[in-house]
Amino acid sequence: MSADPDILTPPEGVPLRFPVAGFGVHVGAQIADIAISGLAAAAAILLLVVTGAVAPIWLAGIGAALFLIVRVPYYVLSELAWNGQTLGKKMMKIKVVAHDGGPLTPHALVLRNLMKEAEVFLPATLVLSLDAERLAPSLIALAWTTGAVAIVLSNRRRRRLGDLMAGTCVVHLPEPVLPSDLSSTAPATATASGADAFGFMTRHLEHYGAYELQTLERVLRVEEQAPATAAEIDRRRQVRAAIVERIRARIDYAEATPPSAHLSFLRAFYTAQRAHLEQRRILGEARADKFHRETRR
Amino acid sequence: MQGTPDLIRSSRFRAEREADWRRLEALVALAERRGVHRMDFAEARDLAELYRQAATSLAVAREISLDRALLDYLEAPTARAYLSVYAPQERIGGLFRRFLAVSAPAAMRRAWAFVLVGVATMALGALAGGTLYFDDPSWYSVFMPTELADGRGPGSSAAELRAAIYGPPDGGGLAAFATYLFSHNTRIAIFIFGLGVFACAPALLLTFYNGLILGAFVALHIDRGLGWDVFGWLSIHGVTELSAICIACAGGLQLGTAVLFPGDRSRAEAIRLAGRDAAKLALVAALMLLAAALLEGFGRQLVQDLRFRVLIGWTIGGLWLAWVRLAGRGAA
Repeated sequence: MSADPDILTPPEGVPLRFPVAGFGVHVGAQIADIAISGLAAAAAILLLVVTGAVAPIWLAGIGAALFLIVRVPYYVLSELAWNGQTLGKKMMKIKVVAHDGGPLTPHALVLRNLMKEAEVFLPATLVLSLDAERLAPSLIALAWTTGAVAIVLSNRRRRRLGDLMAGTCVVHLPEPVLPSDLSSTAPATATASGADAFGFMTRHLEHYGAYELQTLERVLRVEEQAPATAAEIDRRRQVRAAIVERIRARIDYAEATPPSAHLSFLRAFYTAQRAHLEQRRILGEARADKFHRETRR
Repeated sequence: MQGTPDLIRSSRFRAEREADWRRLEALVALAERRGVHRMDFAEARDLAELYRQAATSLAVAREISLDRALLDYLEAPTARAYLSVYAPQERIGGLFRRFLAVSAPAAMRRAWAFVLVGVATMALGALAGGTLYFDDPSWYSVFMPTELADGRGPGSSAAELRAAIYGPPDGGGLAAFATYLFSHNTRIAIFIFGLGVFACAPALLLTFYNGLILGAFVALHIDRGLGWDVFGWLSIHGVTELSAICIACAGGLQLGTAVLFPGDRSRAEAIRLAGRDAAKLALVAALMLLAAALLEGFGRQLVQDLRFRVLIGWTIGGLWLAWVRLAGRGAA
C-alpha cells in the first residue's frame, strides 16, 4: 500500500494513478443502481400482470423474489460479469478495483456487497421510514446513518466497511487523451531545426528545471486551441510577451525578439530546454525547478 | 544519432511507440465492451502483450521524458488495460460449482468452533426462554414479536394451537408465503452476520434473542401438552433454519473476533482475512434459509403427519451435516 491514496501498483510493478471516486459519486451511482434495478423489477412484474402469463397466486411470490434479487445478488452478479461495474457505476464511469493491485476476486465482490445490506440499504430504509412520533428509533437511525457515512469519509480512499473487509476501493476510470507532442509539431516559422535559429546555448538552458518546463508546456497547450474572442487573442499576446521578457531576462538572452516571433521563440525554447533537461536527467541530474542549484549545495 | 534526426530523444521514444498505444486503446475498448473471453486468440494475446509493453514504456517515460502530456496520457490506456487483463476470468456457473463442492464446506469445517458457539448461544437462549415461560407465562409476550406469534399466546387454548400446527395456511399462495419467509429470514441472517463486525456482541445478542423466542414458543406448547406436535412442526424446516441462523452468527463472530483480537495484524487486515471464511458462511446461511423457506412454505403445509415431518426435517439436517463433513475433502 502506498502513501498516495490514488496510486495502485499492479503486478508489473509500475505504479498507476486511479483517482479515488468521491462520496458524491458513490451516492450518485448507488441511486442510479437502485432506480434501474427497481424499475426493471417493477416493469417485469407489470409485464407478468398485463400478459397474465402466470397465475395470480404466484405473482406475490415472484414479486418478492424479484425484489430480493435486485438487492445483494444484482450487485454481486453484475460486478462479476462486468469486472467491477454495475449499471450505475458504468453511468458514472467508476469501477471497483482491488486496492492491492491484484485481480478482483469473486470473494471480494460477494463480501463488499453483503455488507451493502447493513451499510446502504438499512440506513436508507431507516431514513425513509422515520417516524417523528417515536424518538428512540429515530436517534438510532441517525446514529447508524452517521456511522456509515463517517466510515466512508474518514478514510482517504473513501471505502465503506464492505470495501475495507474485501480489500477493494472504487476509482474513476481514466480517459486516455493524447495531445500532440509540442516539441515535434512546431509551426512552419520555427521547425525543429528552427530551434537552432534562436541559437540557444548550454548557458541559456542551465537556469530552469522540470517545473518551469511543464508550466511553459501548459501555456503552449492553451496556445494550441483556437482563441474564442478578440479579447482572448489580445490577452494571449500579452501573456506571451510577458513570459518571453521574463525568460530573456532570466537566461540572459541578448538578441531582441519581435512580438511576431514570440510564439516560435517559446516553442523553440521549450524544445531546447526539454532536450537539455532530459539529457541531464539521463546523466543522473534531475532538475526539479529553477532552484536546483541552491538545493544541491 | 539515428532515426528521425529532427526529434529530441523523448519525442522519438513517443513516435516509435504511439501506434502500439493506439492499438492497445482499441483493444481495451473491445475488451471492455465484449469481455476478454469473447475476443480472438490473437487479440487477447496482443492485449496482454501490448499492456506489458505499455507498462514498461510508462516506467521508462517517467525516467526520461519531461513531457507532462505524454505521461498523463500513457497512464490511462495502461491503467485500463491493466483492469482488462486482470479482470476475473471465471464463469459464474463454475464459481457456483466450486463454491458448493469445495470452498463452502471447507470454510465451514474451519469455522466449526464458531458454529458451536452460535449453537450454544441459541441453545442457551432457548433454555432461558423456556425457563422464564414456565416461571411466568407473561414473559411470552415480552419476547415474541406479534407478527411472528400469529395470534398464538398464553391466552390460546390447546385446540387453537393444534389448529395452527396442523391447519392450512391462512390466505395467500404457498409460493408467496415461502418467498416472504425467505426474504424475512435472510434479512435477519444478514443482519446477524453484518452486525458481528461490531465486536461480536450484536450477533450473539440477536442469536440469543432468537433462542429466547424459540424457547418461549416451545414452552407454551409443552405447557398445553403439544410438545411432540410442535417438535414436528418446527423440525421440518427448523432444523435447517435454526442451523442457518447459527451459521450466520458464526460468520459474524469470526468478524467480531478479528476486530477484538487482531493479533499481530492491523484490524483492517485481520477483518479482511477473517472475511474470507465469514462471507462463505453467510452465503451458506442464505442458501440454507432458502431451503428452509421452501420447506416451511410447501413442505409443512403439504405434509401433515407428525412422523413424516420429523423424518423429513432431520433427514435434511443430516444431509447438510454430511455435505459439510464430506464435500470437497482432498480437493482443496
